[in-house]
Amino acid sequence: MTDLTKSFSVKARDFVKAGEVSIEVQELLKSVGFPPDLIRRVSICAYESEMNVVMHGGDGTCRLTVCPKRITLEMADAGPGIEDIELALQEGYSTATPEYQEMGFGAGMGLPNIQKNADDLKIDSKKGKGTRLTITFDFRDGS
Amino acid sequence: MTAISENRAKKPRIEIDADQCNGCIVCMKACPTKAIRVREGLARIEGVCINCCECMRTCPRNAISASGFQDEDLCGGDRVVVSPSTVIYSQFGPDCLPNDILLALRKMGFGYVHDQSYTSELFNFAVELYIKDHRKKGDTHFPLISPACPVVVNLIAYRFPSLLKHLPPLATPREIVTREAKKRISLKYGYKPEEVRVLNITPCPAMTEFIKESVYRKYAHADKAVGINRIYESIQKNLHGIEDDRVLHHSSGIGLSWGMSGGEIAGLDRNCLAVSGMDETILYLEKIEMGLLHDLDYVECRVCREGCIGGPFTVADKYRAKHLLQKFGRMFGSEKRIKYKYVIDQYKKGWFFTEKDRSLYVSGDSERSIAENIERLNRVKRIVEALPRKECGMCGCPDCETFAGDVIDGKCNLRDCLFLRDRPKILTQLKSEIRNP
Repeated sequence: MTDLTKSFSVKARDFVKAGEVSIEVQELLKSVGFPPDLIRRVSICAYESEMNVVMHGGDGTCRLTVCPKRITLEMADAGPGIEDIELALQEGYSTATPEYQEMGFGAGMGLPNIQKNADDLKIDSKKGKGTRLTITFDFRDGS
Repeated sequence: MTAISENRAKKPRIEIDADQCNGCIVCMKACPTKAIRVREGLARIEGVCINCCECMRTCPRNAISASGFQDEDLCGGDRVVVSPSTVIYSQFGPDCLPNDILLALRKMGFGYVHDQSYTSELFNFAVELYIKDHRKKGDTHFPLISPACPVVVNLIAYRFPSLLKHLPPLATPREIVTREAKKRISLKYGYKPEEVRVLNITPCPAMTEFIKESVYRKYAHADKAVGINRIYESIQKNLHGIEDDRVLHHSSGIGLSWGMSGGEIAGLDRNCLAVSGMDETILYLEKIEMGLLHDLDYVECRVCREGCIGGPFTVADKYRAKHLLQKFGRMFGSEKRIKYKYVIDQYKKGWFFTEKDRSLYVSGDSERSIAENIERLNRVKRIVEALPRKECGMCGCPDCETFAGDVIDGKCNLRDCLFLRDRPKILTQLKSEIRNP
């Protein structure tokens, strides 16, 4: 039994296309037939992490792996990296520029929101070395 | 994929005229649920039809029509209540006031004529109460999505099932009018409620589906629906020489504007948004599903452009109709003519709530398990990767991915693809892969 994988590329500062990867992820999960609540959690995380890449990360890739019991979303970028991960996970902490905040982004809810909706979140990031988020969701039948 | 109940998938309200259809792929490309295929030179509906009529609107040869109406006994005597959609007021030009149209319907022989615009105002207020109640309790999902457009509800059930929670459990104005008319008239004249029959006059083909399908019959309450275009001429004839001086129309401009996009939220003193058109509706439903727009209280979606005045069964041009409704809006004012205390009492009594269980809209799990679906999608992916992805539709499927899926499901052949037909090597390779996954 092979897992289903799909990769998408995310372009930095492309606000016209931003969100499209999340929509594709969503559509794919729907066609697999996962329950709506799980899809909702994944798509919120996909969107938040996609927007992080678009705003801060430079170009990146999103890799989705789907198995019957688990969904993994890896979002990797070659951006500036996160200086203090613990701080970044605090609600309301934001490094977004005023320009992005004017566009309605950068409320400091991105990573906290991902943490809240995911079953597991691994952040692998060093300043200047880019960021890799590994977000996993478990699917247990009937729950 | 979650599927809508079987009997609906089999009975779309759309008919394709085989003599007119030349097998072009315009409707197939337009269908938001990818339900149409072109096989043997003819378009046909194979998937789930949500009755949005995008195919009918786009067909260059007018081969597609919406069915489901019967002409017999429209004016069936004193036990028939007629309840026209508020869109009807926008159809007869600026010289015909809403009350004239309602009186013309009486003159045509309908025993009772019930206006929906006043109930629409009541509904607005109920929505306000619902938002206030549940924002405080924090126990529901925001933004709420208006349950008024039946195609939006179908679309949510089919493509966005997680958003069913965003539909407030309120009955729509047309449902309330129908329910109350039956109740009141049967009480007043001593009929049994089932003897009173309600006829909706509607701009919307999806309405008839709600009435006809057995699952919905219990909830829809109305017995019949007729398109505005079918009854238009009779109303026009009866508009002259009305001697009746009854007042049947009671609403302000707010209730009258429901037919156009933005008309529903015009009466709401909240953070709202109105979206119209199929593509925009899908876009905004996607946004809501991704957790955006949660700062909004209420989103009005209508799949017809400019709202119900753009419905397939209308007669007047939708932009003229819009202007007319705006004009009536000014004429009748925006001061709501409802008694607030009465509405609050009725709300507490549950008068506005529907007993409809919306999870009924989505029925049956996919026949395949999740593991089988993953397996299938992997095979689909292998075929798609071998294709040039021109998305030409010449195979008779709306896009390459759907084509690959249909091949796996045995609904069509790899040779249907113009590209593969000329490349025997890829063809044999794919064939063996499909056989031995």
